[in-house]
Amino acid sequence: MDDRDLELRNLTYHLFVELGRAPSVTEVAQAAERSPAEVEEGWRRLHEAHALVLDAQTTELRMANPFSAVPTAYRVHAAGRSWYGNCAWDAFGICAALHVDGRIESSCPDCGEPIAVDVRDERPNDTSLLFHCLVPAAHWWDDIVFT
Amino acid sequence: MNLFRSEEHIERWLAGRSPGATIPVTTLSDLAHAWWSDRLAPDWRPHTRAQNQAILDSVGLTGRFWQLP
Repeated sequence: MDDRDLELRNLTYHLFVELGRAPSVTEVAQAAERSPAEVEEGWRRLHEAHALVLDAQTTELRMANPFSAVPTAYRVHAAGRSWYGNCAWDAFGICAALHVDGRIESSCPDCGEPIAVDVRDERPNDTSLLFHCLVPAAHWWDDIVFT
Repeated sequence: MNLFRSEEHIERWLAGRSPGATIPVTTLSDLAHAWWSDRLAPDWRPHTRAQNQAILDSVGLTGRFWQLP
């Protein structure tokens, strides 16, 4: 990953945080003073390096881990804004990346009952919950969306 | 990678599939903060495999299931 791609990656993340959603190719191109094609090419290289994840069918962002570009079961409220996490791990990761307290709202995948967790000083207020990871670490990136 | 209320909920959700790994939410929070805390840092660089494996090890996630490729 060269400095120019690193700069593009950092700008993409910055805009994701500022906007509370995934930035478009056009928005990043304007902010980076690059052409949309240059942004798409850079994003493709970053995707290959697992530095972000593009949608399989389009050139749009799917993930800037831990942030999700699409609605998920993990909504995170922090620093006066809201984002979606890709999974439970990423939901905590949003608070970690922002270095702030937050609230994670989800539901039990089994029974559908709401689950809400407040994160204060890097600790969850409900310590009774369990996290289940279905896919072994060796295969997380085989299909990162499924993982 | 989901949160559940209890082991019973996990078993029902698996519906006969092979289970993965279950850890307390407190361990998950420790893992997330170690894994993601530098993600927005201006000097961020990609973690190496060794760095990520060390993070998993540091929160007690060892063994074959947690071995990165």
